[in-house]
Amino acid sequence: MEERERWKRRSDFIFASIGAAIGLGNVWRFPYVTYQYGGGAFLIPYFVALITAGIPLVMLELGVGRIFQAGAPQAFARIRKKLEWVGWLALLAVMIIFLYYSVIMGWVWNYLYYSLKLSWGADPRAFFYNDFLKLSPGPGKLGAINWSIVIGLALSWLWSYNYLRRGTKSISKEIYWTVTIPWIILVIMVIRGLTLPGAVKGLNYYLTPNFKALLNTGPWLAAYGQVFFSLSLAMGSLIIYSSYLPRESDIANNAFIISLADAGTAFFAGFAVFSTLGYLAQTMGLEVPNVISSGFGLAFITYPTAISKMPFAAPFFGVIFFILLLTLSIDSQISQVEPFAAGFMDKWKFARKKVLPLVVLFGFLGGLFFTTQGGYYWIDIFDYFTCSFVLTFVGLMEAIIVGYVFKASRMREYINEVSEIKIGKWWDICIKFITPIILGFSFIWELKKVITKGYGDYPRWTTNVGFALVLLLLVLSIVLMSIKGKEEQ
Amino acid sequence: MNLSAIIMLIIGVLLIYGGLAYFISRALKH
Repeated sequence: MEERERWKRRSDFIFASIGAAIGLGNVWRFPYVTYQYGGGAFLIPYFVALITAGIPLVMLELGVGRIFQAGAPQAFARIRKKLEWVGWLALLAVMIIFLYYSVIMGWVWNYLYYSLKLSWGADPRAFFYNDFLKLSPGPGKLGAINWSIVIGLALSWLWSYNYLRRGTKSISKEIYWTVTIPWIILVIMVIRGLTLPGAVKGLNYYLTPNFKALLNTGPWLAAYGQVFFSLSLAMGSLIIYSSYLPRESDIANNAFIISLADAGTAFFAGFAVFSTLGYLAQTMGLEVPNVISSGFGLAFITYPTAISKMPFAAPFFGVIFFILLLTLSIDSQISQVEPFAAGFMDKWKFARKKVLPLVVLFGFLGGLFFTTQGGYYWIDIFDYFTCSFVLTFVGLMEAIIVGYVFKASRMREYINEVSEIKIGKWWDICIKFITPIILGFSFIWELKKVITKGYGDYPRWTTNVGFALVLLLLVLSIVLMSIKGKEEQ
Repeated sequence: MNLSAIIMLIIGVLLIYGGLAYFISRALKH
């Protein structure tokens, strides 16, 4: 039997896992959510969520990967054969995510080039939607493929292929660069941001606490959502990375380091973002809330606007900002592709050199759909349905399976056996009660909202397509479970 | 920066980076 590949050093695994967790969301989502839900007071629900759900779930996934020495489908199959589909569902969700994530990376490649000449000019919004995306009137009209995005998409997949072609060996070689470069860039951006006029005004909006906001459910749900999605949970990433760990490896301390490094990056990124937004507001004679944005708006419209207004070396700050986004996203992209490819390698014993090129080709061809003029809408729709329903459901199932089928106490004993820091019974409570209740509530909350109102401002039929996608992934996960693996034949 | 924002900044730094430094130092010792 071929021996499983292994991380050579503990730090290889920690860096790869931190790279998986830290992504675009740390820069373009956390600072905004913090501002939106009580400023500095949001740190309270955020920490509660981190301790009661984030860190326990990271420990759970690391434990599952370590014990069963396999990716999500095989790991769940070893708990109970009929639960293999949960693992496949996670990998199919991650497949949808990497299809559009690589396209967003394609946008970033383009903007890296545009930032050399500040091509977005005086109106970055019009440039992004009209000149760059050539956005169609709605999701019903896909329009033509945007070839400049296709080039960016190809670059992203070539990079991912190079990153993964020799498994843990090649990941270990590159991961130190792509995890540390974002930190170096963030330090430069924070220093630049803090030395701009108006920065303090922006930081006041970021951190001034509004404790009254915590009396609503909004900040609490947002905190759990932020922690859950930011740590790349329920995607099979941490399970597969952990399955490459040597047998004597620590779990509890690694989980704390990974989770706090993710939180630390997000918190720090907030200073770069809000100091710059404060400056932008000052130069435009606006109040800070009028320039605050998140997601695509922040990365491709608001930040380019601020870059154009930098007192000196504007293209330099444009280039480092988009290098930041690229290096943040490549680690997340490979942490999505690796578990998907490994799912097939584990079950059917396919060689990496056969599976990986096929996955990369599939990812590139599948991504073409999102490079069309209507692709932007579909990224938004697919992202919502995959994350809000499929990933939340997988997270819920993970907690139930380990908590009740495998037994939380048994998993805790195993984690304590190999870990330097011992975890108490609080962990069982988090996995058996708190995590399932929060994820279940969040799932039903979103379901109710989308059934009554539909998703976003899109035509109603797009919501049906979203649900059809969820159903298709569910059926496919059962089909993949039903096909016999090499060990079973 | 106003005082309440500075207090939250200190709390955030202590909890996140203090915690991270603590767990990294334990990992290095082990």
